[in-house]
Amino acid sequence: MDLHAALSLGLPLGIGIAAIGSGIGLGLIGQGAMQAIGRQPEATAKIQLAMIIIAALAEALTIYAFVTMFLLRGKI
Amino acid sequence: MGLEFLARVRKTSTWLGGVVALMAATYVAPLLGLAFALGTLWSLANLQLLEQLVVSLSGPESKTPESRRKLGFAVGGMLPLFAAGAVLLVTLSPMALLLGFLLPLAVIVLKAVAQVLLSSRAWATLVHHRFRAALAALALAGVTWLALGALTDATAENVPATQHGASASASPGEPPAAGHAPSAEPAPGEHTPAGEHGTSEAEGEGGGEAFPNIIGMIAGANHGKPWADFLHHYEILVFSLFIALLLGLVAFLASRRPQLVPNGLQNLVETVVEGLSDFITSILGPKHGPRFVPFLGTLFLYILAMNLFGLLPFMHSPTASLNVTVALALTVFVYVQFIGFKELGPLGWLDHMLGSPRDLTGWLIAPLMLPIHLLGELAKPISLSCRLFGNIFGEDMLLVAFASLGVAMLPFQQVPFGIPMHVLFYPLALLGSALQAMVFTVLSSIYILLMLPHEHHDGHGHEAGAQHAH
Repeated sequence: MDLHAALSLGLPLGIGIAAIGSGIGLGLIGQGAMQAIGRQPEATAKIQLAMIIIAALAEALTIYAFVTMFLLRGKI
Repeated sequence: MGLEFLARVRKTSTWLGGVVALMAATYVAPLLGLAFALGTLWSLANLQLLEQLVVSLSGPESKTPESRRKLGFAVGGMLPLFAAGAVLLVTLSPMALLLGFLLPLAVIVLKAVAQVLLSSRAWATLVHHRFRAALAALALAGVTWLALGALTDATAENVPATQHGASASASPGEPPAAGHAPSAEPAPGEHTPAGEHGTSEAEGEGGGEAFPNIIGMIAGANHGKPWADFLHHYEILVFSLFIALLLGLVAFLASRRPQLVPNGLQNLVETVVEGLSDFITSILGPKHGPRFVPFLGTLFLYILAMNLFGLLPFMHSPTASLNVTVALALTVFVYVQFIGFKELGPLGWLDHMLGSPRDLTGWLIAPLMLPIHLLGELAKPISLSCRLFGNIFGEDMLLVAFASLGVAMLPFQQVPFGIPMHVLFYPLALLGSALQAMVFTVLSSIYILLMLPHEHHDGHGHEAGAQHAH
């Protein structure tokens, strides 16, 4: 397997794996936030703010994989 | 058939002319679209002046000084209008100009026919029964479909270059096909790969396609000239400077003559500023919050405007380039360190970096905490810039991919234009743009919050979130 084949196989796969992890993480974050809101509806604004921040952090991992793909795409 | 009819004609022609001109500019050639739009505008102005002329001559208050003034204005306006028409005819494509000129007239004819038809007895019997109406609509749609198909076949035989060239260059494996354009212009459809006029940036960020933007088009038309190359090379800077100027202009216009009871623009801007101020103060606390509202609020508005700018036709998001996002993140980084030095003092800053040791255990793990904190500080700008860049760039790529998918369908469908598939993703792009601008601002304010002298305020939830942000 030469470099081109390895890259063209690995880059989409890498994004996919990163997206699985982020997806699980985002699901857990959303679940926790929804449960918290359901338990304490008056704290909705605070919970949403924290949820969005942490969701952005979890989502950033996929974005890093995406950026890596675009940086390496020229080598395919 | 009064003046109200003419007003409706004007509105319809403006919208229709704008859409057709945009499509012509995108799919055929930018100059053709410009010529079409100018022709429509010329025709509309002509109609307006004619209307004024007729009203002032035959209206109820003719012979008054007011109507004489209007008459003089209309006659005087005709001369420059015709001069402008002559200049346009010489410089731009006469065919497109003529088509644009005919558009409002065609709208008038169609609207008049529709009015006659709608009030006729045959129409009333046709729409009286709903099944009959549905059948008629179906028949009309079928006839249109067949007619469009015949039209497409005819044009495809006559000028195969435009359509087939477009579909060929949409396929990903092709080299940048800049040679298929029939005219001297780069003819950038929405699908055109970033060809000779887009390679420099594209290679820097991993290559690929992009929507054509106006600076790239201008630079492509004036290829080889120094100013065009300069403009093209720094197009991201030009766009971001333009957005900054735009925001400054809006702020200036809104605050030029402040009124106690605001209306219009001032009202809107005050709402935005107040919302931002409340939001940031709720994170930073009432003591420190108001000091940082100008910086963080400007950051939010600037990033939001830059993110949304790419959704306008022929524009480009500056934040879809790492250069801009790294610059923004570095600004935040330097500002946060400056705040730390100013608020805590150099020793206090070092103490903060050591993890604020107060007892023996603290001092023992302090050498461990120092590199962790330093690395954390350095990781902040990297994560901020990469997150913003990746999100906005990915959004743009998604739109481009679906737009080229719509163009790639051209050979399989019977209509002469591509399906705008990417429109489906506009809501997602709007949401993502706003969310990323907010995330950037919130994270920046949390970095500032972490640098401020720690007090006991109600921000524990945010601090818990901020610990993850390292």
